[in-house]
Amino acid sequence: MTAIIEARGLTKNYGSTQALRGIDLNVAPGRIVGLIGPNGSGKTTAIKSILGLSSFEGELKVMGHDPRTQRNSLMTDVCFIADVAVLPRWLKVSQAVEFVAGVHPRFDRKRAEEFLAKTDIKMDRRVRQLSKGMVTQLHLALILAIDAKLLVLDEPTLGLDLLFRRSFYDNLLNDYFNHERTILVTTHQVEEIENILTDVIFIQRGSIVLDSSMETLGDRFTQLVPSAGNVEKARALKPFYEREVFGRSAMLFDGRKEAELASLGETRTPSVADLFVALMGSKEKNGQPAVSAKEAA
Amino acid sequence: MNNMLMLVRREFWEHRSLWIAPLVWVGLIVIMSMWGTILSLQHEDAIKIGHYETVEQIPGLSDMERAELAKQITAPDDRKETVYAIAQMVLASMISAVVIVVVFFYLLDCLYAERRDRSILFWKSLPVSDTQVVLSKVAVALLIMPLMVLALAAVTQILVSVIFWIRFNDTVLGQIMPAWSLKAWALSIWTQLQFSLGAVLWYVPVAGYLLIMSVWARRAVFLWAVLPPAALMLLEKMFLNTSHVAEFIGHRLGGFAQELEIAAGQANQGGHEIPTLSEAYNSFHFSGLFLKPELWLGLLAGAALIYATIRIRRYRDDT
Repeated sequence: MTAIIEARGLTKNYGSTQALRGIDLNVAPGRIVGLIGPNGSGKTTAIKSILGLSSFEGELKVMGHDPRTQRNSLMTDVCFIADVAVLPRWLKVSQAVEFVAGVHPRFDRKRAEEFLAKTDIKMDRRVRQLSKGMVTQLHLALILAIDAKLLVLDEPTLGLDLLFRRSFYDNLLNDYFNHERTILVTTHQVEEIENILTDVIFIQRGSIVLDSSMETLGDRFTQLVPSAGNVEKARALKPFYEREVFGRSAMLFDGRKEAELASLGETRTPSVADLFVALMGSKEKNGQPAVSAKEAA
Repeated sequence: MNNMLMLVRREFWEHRSLWIAPLVWVGLIVIMSMWGTILSLQHEDAIKIGHYETVEQIPGLSDMERAELAKQITAPDDRKETVYAIAQMVLASMISAVVIVVVFFYLLDCLYAERRDRSILFWKSLPVSDTQVVLSKVAVALLIMPLMVLALAAVTQILVSVIFWIRFNDTVLGQIMPAWSLKAWALSIWTQLQFSLGAVLWYVPVAGYLLIMSVWARRAVFLWAVLPPAALMLLEKMFLNTSHVAEFIGHRLGGFAQELEIAAGQANQGGHEIPTLSEAYNSFHFSGLFLKPELWLGLLAGAALIYATIRIRRYRDDT
């Protein structure tokens, strides 16, 4: 199968600041990929490059198109929600539906209207009269009615309350996702999307720290809480991260067999949030990559 | 083409002043014409001549004024038609004046507003090219709005003609100017059409300049558009004591009307009598305007500015 997104040495400089330091990406069709990183890590820059919104250096193909020169044809197959606030305040709900129906060949107007009928949004309202959550619902209704191959979501639930965030992702999974579609999502709230992702990419200071599918994540990383006498033994196995939880050490290992560690204490598969803190946090402290994820993979 | 129609409709959704302001203004003109004297601005004594049935009844006129009015009443029909046609042109230019102001601010705002409210990312998420977006704005400013002026002018002219007939049919004013002349009306519309075409082509570079300011400025678009040329003029005056920049800008802004007015003025100097309809019409040298190299150089410059606007919107990133 051809890749949906394929990047080699993707680089972007803003003046002397390097936003992207030559990253490689490979996103296959039918995946839900979480692009996760702290503020200023380069994730938005990467997404803007993929969407042809900003210039870049290096090789990048999105469904075989170069976003720099073939943006117009690309946008028929790609949808994105950049932020909840981007729907213009003067736009009426009916006009939004009318406009997208007018310009998008793959927009299913009936579907959007059905979706909206399930919400409290009235067609004659303007965006400025809607609550923040309703604006997101409206945007989602428009986007979900488009039969696109790639959906890019950049912090789609920023500033929304928990109920809206939950139903946003539920809608996304139930009404939209199938194995011909690919979703690329960035967010701060790792815990919320953890169980919907098939792949996870950590990005920090313009470099990729981790790029793995969720299945191999479980095989590769193990968290160990060693029993009292085994702490030093466990340390000898070189965990790449260690922290104190309720007076006990919790250690993270990369590439150790779970069976090997199980004799030393309790083991479990770390959550994406645990890994995020471990990989990003430790790197911040030491100024060094904690693991060379690319080599390890 | 479908996209284009949708994009143009979108502009009227967002910039509602594009249609509300001209409609309100036309409403005001029609209401004003019921009480006011706008149809006879060239007569200082308009109220008087609109109140009396014969010249003799009008009090406080000198003999010379009476003779002048009598002469106008007895003028042949084709000269009276000229008065009618001029009145129609005055009406049309009143509407144009307001629309020019509206379009000026529209052009400054149209590519800035979408960045200010960050909706640009929503528009860019749809399969609509930057070329289509920018050209839809050019089309609104230079095609749809001029056509709207023509249509509104035609309707206003008919309405005001009816009101004029009801008010002044049996007065001195009614004898000087006919309430209706199909020939003069049609000719005035035809003249407006040529006027508009000339004006649109002449102002393409101005529109291009406003668009590039709109797509480029991060804030205070109006100041960015107005201050640099003003500063250039001032600096030139201070250091070189010349005013080439001012002349250049002045000619671009007013030059189109200058060309035509000179021709009209020359025709008027020929005699103090009102020209016949065809004399008046022939005093406009439209074909001459289209032969002016400035018009075509301006068009080229305008096209370059519009192309640059498209390129800037492509990679403009304020978010």
